[in-house]
Formats: sequence, C-alpha cells, structure tokens
Amino acid sequence: MTTSVAEMIRERVGHIDTMPAIPAVFLPLLDLLNLPPERVKLDDVVKLVSYDNTIAAQCLRVASSPLFGLAKSPESIKGAVISLGLRKVETILLMCCLGNALPAKNWALDPVVFWRHSLGCAMVCRKFSEKLESADGDKAYMAGLLHDIGFLVNCIAFPKEFAAAVALATEKQIPFDEAERATMGFTHCETGRELAKKWHLADDMVQVIAYHHSPERSESAKALVALVHLSDLLCHMRGMGYGYYERHGVDLVSDPAWAILMAEHRDLDGVDLARFSFELDEAVGEVFELVSTIFGGSKAQS
Amino acid sequence: MTTGAQAATTALSPPKGGEAIDPIFRQIRDLVYKVCGIFQLEEKLYLMVDACGRRMKQVGIRTPREYWDLLTAHSSREAEIRQLLNEVTIGETCLFRSQPQLDALRKVILPELVAEKSKQVLKRLRIWSAGCSTGEESYTLAMNMLEETDGLLKGWTVEILATDLNDRSLETAKAGVYGDYALRSTSEYFKRKYFSPAVDDKKLQVRPEVKKLIAFSRLNLQDDSRMLFMKGMDLIFCCNVLIYFDGPSKAKVIDHYYNNLNFGGYFFLGTSESLLKLNDKFHLVHFPGTIAYWKPSRKSGKL
Repeated sequence: MTTSVAEMIRERVGHIDTMPAIPAVFLPLLDLLNLPPERVKLDDVVKLVSYDNTIAAQCLRVASSPLFGLAKSPESIKGAVISLGLRKVETILLMCCLGNALPAKNWALDPVVFWRHSLGCAMVCRKFSEKLESADGDKAYMAGLLHDIGFLVNCIAFPKEFAAAVALATEKQIPFDEAERATMGFTHCETGRELAKKWHLADDMVQVIAYHHSPERSESAKALVALVHLSDLLCHMRGMGYGYYERHGVDLVSDPAWAILMAEHRDLDGVDLARFSFELDEAVGEVFELVSTIFGGSKAQS
Repeated sequence: MTTGAQAATTALSPPKGGEAIDPIFRQIRDLVYKVCGIFQLEEKLYLMVDACGRRMKQVGIRTPREYWDLLTAHSSREAEIRQLLNEVTIGETCLFRSQPQLDALRKVILPELVAEKSKQVLKRLRIWSAGCSTGEESYTLAMNMLEETDGLLKGWTVEILATDLNDRSLETAKAGVYGDYALRSTSEYFKRKYFSPAVDDKKLQVRPEVKKLIAFSRLNLQDDSRMLFMKGMDLIFCCNVLIYFDGPSKAKVIDHYYNNLNFGGYFFLGTSESLLKLNDKFHLVHFPGTIAYWKPSRKSGKL
C-alpha cells in the first residue's frame, strides 16, 4: 500500500461524520470476554447489558426466542443473562454493540450475512483452539468475531467503492479481499486497522484485523493471526462465507499460516482436518439461528 | 436382514429438542470414525442409533453397553463394525447424492484440469468410479460431464470406468433403470434431458448417450495385478467402499489410487468420509461444502 492510500484511509476513517466513537460498553466487554469463564461475574455482565437500553431490549428479545426453548420469557435482565448463559450474552452484547455503533443503512453487505460469518469464524476459532493444548480459546473467539470489522468500515466510509468490490466478488466468485484490491486498491484489513487503532483495541486484536489475510506480516501475534486466517478459510468452505459460491480450493496444510501456527503449537500436526470440517457442519445451524434472532430473519443463504 | 427404509420408519425417530442420546452412541460414533473414517453427523446420529438397535436385535443383545463390548472385543470388532455400517448406509445411494461434490467438480476442478491438460495433444479425461455398486454415481458423473460438452469440455473425450466386485450390482448398473427413490435428488431438468420412460411402469431409463460414456467392469480392488492397469486417471471416486477393508488392505488400495491418478488429479470419498492418516502423499483440499484429496502437480506448489 502506498503512503497516499494509507493517508486517504486514515483521513476517511478519522473524519467521516458517520464513523462513531467507541461504544461505552465495548472495552469493558472485551475485557470480560478475555477472562476465563470461571472468573466472569454474573453481576458484571448484567451491569454491562443494562447500561444501554437498546442492547438490554435486544438481549431480552433473544432470550425469549424459541431458539432457547425457555418455558417462559425472562422478565429481568438478570433472568435473561442466567437463562442464556454468560458466554452467549457476551457474544450477543458484542454484536448488538457493534451493530448499533455501525448501523446498517443500505449497506453493500447484508449485516445478517456479515454476522453469520463473523460469529461462524468465532466459533471455528474456538473449536480450533480446543484442538491445540496451549491455545487460548476465548481470545481466539473474540479475534474471530472481530477479524472482518473492516467491512463495516468499508460500508460506512467507502460505500460506493466497496459496493463495486462486492459486486465483482459475487460475479466472479472470488474472495472479497481479491476483489477489494482489484477495485479499491486496498482492503478491509487496512480500514479495519484504522478503526481498531482509533478505538484503542488491544494490540493482538489490531494484528488480527490487519493481517488475517497475510499472517506472515504479523509481528507480535503471529500464531493467533495464523489461527484466525486458517479458521476464516475453513469458514468460507463450510457454509459460513459471504453468501456466494467461492470458486477455489483451500489446502490449509500448504498455506504459510499452517507452518506459522505449527511453530507455536506442535500438536497442530495431529489435528484431523477432515473430521474437524465434518464437526463444523454440526454447529452452522446454531450460528445462523443466533444471528437471525438478534438481527431478524434474512433469506440470504450462505 | 431388514431393509433400511422399512426399519428406519419403525425404529426410534429423531430425537426432538433435548431428548438425550445415550453417550455410549457418541463413543460408538468415534469408534466407527477411528476404524473406518466415516463420520456420523450429530443430526444423523439417530440413524446410527437405529442401526445399532437393529444390530442388537439381530445378535440378541439388550443394552447399548453390551453392544459396545461386542464392538470393541478383539475377535468381533471389525466384522461387527462393518455390519453396523451396512445398516447405516443402507438405502442411502441415489443419483446426485452430493451436490457440493458436483459443484466442486464442475466449478473448480474441471476448469483447473482442463487448463492443466490443454497443452497435451490428447484431450482426454479419465474418471474412475471405484466400487460403483448399482451405477448411480457413474451416471451422475456422466450426465454432469455431458453438461460441459459444449463449454469447458468442447473437443474433449470423457471416459468413465465404473468397477465393482459384485456381478449382480453391475448388471443393475448396466441396465440403468431407476425408480423414484434413487431419483429423489435428480432435478426435472436432468430427468427430462437424460432419461426416457422404462418398460417397467414408473421407472426411468438412462439414455444411450449417457451410457456411451461409461464402461462397466468387474474388478476386485484387492487384486494388485489388475489394479496396476487402472493408470492415467484424472479423477477417482470411491464412496463408502473403504469400509469393507481392514487397515493394511485399505492402505494398499489407497496407494493404488494414488499411483493410478495423474499428477494434479483428485480423489473423492463419501460425503462424511476421511482418509484418516492412511496416506500422507495426498493433500486434503477443502471446497465449498466438501473435501477432496489432491495428488500434487509435478511442479507442485499452488493449486
């Protein structure tokens, strides 16, 4: 990327009126997500949920959905948090929070499709981490959830340019980043990084957002970035992509990210990728249902 | 033996929200995967539970725990797992069984193979349907190749070799007559274009131009000398066949497949089937909704 393009991105991301400030609950929420589950306190989560009326209402609505099969709709936030489970509430909270901060208005990308992929990738990242003894599943989950946040920036800061990239990708059935490079000359990695920096996200999240398509360029979080990269590819191949057929094959073991991840996790060698992909198919339905419950139904199929 | 279709309706129905499956069945699922490489998806787990039920009845066992013992006892293990899988996969075969495989084939692999082989004088594509059983897969492949004859495969010759050990299956395959059940996933478009009404009332008959692409023959996959003659394949399909081999013979069959494939060729297994760790020369490649095994091009590197 040339300096002038970098400047231009910084300029647009920095000054555009619609580009929001970081939502108040966002950083405390990321801190919570980073804690091991046994250290997360119910009251802390309830407090975060209650902070914003819109989000609180969304949580109650999700908790009452048939997806969770509760006999009776929860009446309080606390009741909703208890019945949903802390981890699920954190995810819902993060999605609502980003959804409200970056509201969809005639976006080039259907927010339902976007969140299906983000939540799907988060799920794959966590399951992938579980196969590696020393990987941090919660951190990987959050990284998966945030990795493509640059697309939201594109929708807001570069609506016309990004719409052309989406059109090219779906027409030629090629990955988004290829289409972005061909039409815009830069990708969601660069725009996402600007937002992540503006919001002062932790360094490893900035790395994931900036380098998940080129893990070898990551300096301080190589293994995490590589894990997100591989999970991302797998997502696209197991029905959790961006809603169109991608005309290419993916050979994870030959991908440079594989060696990068292997350098830190020797047990990667023992992961049975065929079985892993079969297992992922079992979780797709739940991901789709959760997103539909939060954002309302969409007919878009992945 | 009861037939799958009958038994499935009389046995346990799929568990509705929350009804727990005895954890032992998940153990059985893992065992089946470890031994055969076939994975029973959670949503299809009830089919395996049913199949276990039928096998338990047949061998006179009452509890899943006792059945687990039978499945893990050294003397009975492989034979019983095979019997169980027979029950699970029974009646599953049909034409157009895996659309993701066909999509990967036509949208990604075929353009790649055509580009790679276009420099060769002989524009020929060789496909092997290994363990073709009653022909459903072979005809599905043939029809899909015919769809490309005016496009990608213009000027190409396509040969499909379909082999099976069972003579009776081969007779059925050659006849190419299928009923509603086998055609349940076949679209009207394909039915109209490639079938004509059969003598037998409601069935459909594969048209001669489809049959022309396929050579059916009897082959024992364990016959090493004959396996050596199956050279020069671009694609090999071998769905739910490897379950019939024990570990060492399975590895040998897979080696034959590898050797018989051209460089850059692909090998497909059943939808939820894996090669486990039986061959480390093949590259596992993911396509939307499916996987395949790739024999690296001579120059290797990227796909």
